[in-house]
Amino acid sequence: MTTFSIGALQVDRSGIPVIRGVDLEARGGEISVLLGSNGAGKTTFLESLSGIIPVRSGFINLDGVELAKLRPGARAKAGLSHVEQGRTVFPAMTTEENLKVALHPDADLKEAYDLFPELLQRRNVEAGMLSGGEQQMVVIARSIVNRPRVILIDEMSSGLAPVIVSRLMRAVRQLADDGMAVVLVEQFAALALAIGNRAYVLRRGQIVYDGDCAALAGDPAHLHRLYLGDAAA
Amino acid sequence: MDSLFTAAVAGLSAGGAYAILGVCAIFTYRLVAVVNFTGAAIGAAGTFAMVALFELGMPLLPAVLFGVAAGALAGLAIGLVMTTWFTGSNASTKAAVTAALLVGIIAVGLRLTGGQHPHYFPEIIPGSAFRLAGVEVTWAAVTTLVLSVAFTLLTEQFLARTRTGLQLRALSQRPMAAELIGIRVRLLALGVWAVTGGVTAFALMIIAPLRSPDFASLSLLVVPALAAALIGAFSSFRAALIGGVMIGLIEGGVSAIGPVSQYRGAVPFLVILAVLLWSQRGARWDEAR
Repeated sequence: MTTFSIGALQVDRSGIPVIRGVDLEARGGEISVLLGSNGAGKTTFLESLSGIIPVRSGFINLDGVELAKLRPGARAKAGLSHVEQGRTVFPAMTTEENLKVALHPDADLKEAYDLFPELLQRRNVEAGMLSGGEQQMVVIARSIVNRPRVILIDEMSSGLAPVIVSRLMRAVRQLADDGMAVVLVEQFAALALAIGNRAYVLRRGQIVYDGDCAALAGDPAHLHRLYLGDAAA
Repeated sequence: MDSLFTAAVAGLSAGGAYAILGVCAIFTYRLVAVVNFTGAAIGAAGTFAMVALFELGMPLLPAVLFGVAAGALAGLAIGLVMTTWFTGSNASTKAAVTAALLVGIIAVGLRLTGGQHPHYFPEIIPGSAFRLAGVEVTWAAVTTLVLSVAFTLLTEQFLARTRTGLQLRALSQRPMAAELIGIRVRLLALGVWAVTGGVTAFALMIIAPLRSPDFASLSLLVVPALAAALIGAFSSFRAALIGGVMIGLIEGGVSAIGPVSQYRGAVPFLVILAVLLWSQRGARWDEAR
């Protein structure tokens, strides 16, 4: 079973520490939900894991392979996939071309269309012309045909209608049920906690909660305090 | 009228070369997001490498092949600079860097090639192919035209139908997203630089005997190249192809008109000006209202 371990991770932006000694573990078959208020460092954290920005110290380990010093492309080949926020489709390529460009030799486009049958009838449409929800589906589908073992998903619900968000959440749960390790960063805490296994709350670059999703979902006041810290008192 | 037609046909070789340079300029812009001012200078480096080897006694064909390889290497060197230090820079910064590199390459090129010292540029495709309405059309003209059309069509097909072409298109649209799905972004970008360097070098070798035989003059063929690319709005290979050939024909035609013939080199500038004014017409109309 896949194990993705991050330990004592420190990340700077413009010389200022943004991530300060974060530990996190994501296992195959589970969704690890990472919550936190705006500016807590969630996106920086994911970008450091996928190699978009360098880490200052700490380790990023995927099934015994150290990734911290690798370039983003090498991390992708090692089995790590990052769904960035902002629906990063290749806009002038069709839906199918978006999928084909990422297609792993052992994968099949059918896997993507099985996950999101909606995309089948839109396969010859330029991705830039798709709706926001469809674009998000393309980006997630493109990620899975790359055959990752770990998938990092950043704010996939941003700007989407609730019905689409629910649809995407179900698909993410399905990815985990198929054996993938998912790290999900999400603003809609309740929705994310409802499908997640393990929750982490990040505040000012540090983990302030590490526990069951169900426990956190059942105690909104505690979640509120974790988000706001001393200001909540 | 006949002399005008004759002169215009004489501009076909240059037109074909401009078309190739223009298509290469779009290739570089679309795939690695750089308005490349060094394109012709890279080709000039390859051309002068060929001339140097030929002057040293090497037979023409291997000298040409080495020249093309030298152009590819020069392109690769510029690509290494751009991908190592300027990957994250915006388009205007990248363009400024290539303009600065152009100045440097011309300075070094003039020094290494003896400044204005004349060199013998062998005609790599000599002879007359056929007569058109009484005008001799050279093999050089035919070759540059065929090459420009072939390069344009091949480029389009390559980008549309191959996996590498697909990856290059992804790279050009979202470099970071492309890298995050495991595309070897830097390798592909360097490939683009090397291919355009080699192709540009070959195009310049064909038309070099018709131009001023010094490094700076060949390097400044970037102006008609960018004019052709501008006609293609830095996106359409076919429009750039047609634009490049038209610039060559107009330049040739102008050379037959006595009073203005000495200013034929200004044709690409006028084309650039005209295209920019045309592209701004909507904004001017809005402003006037």
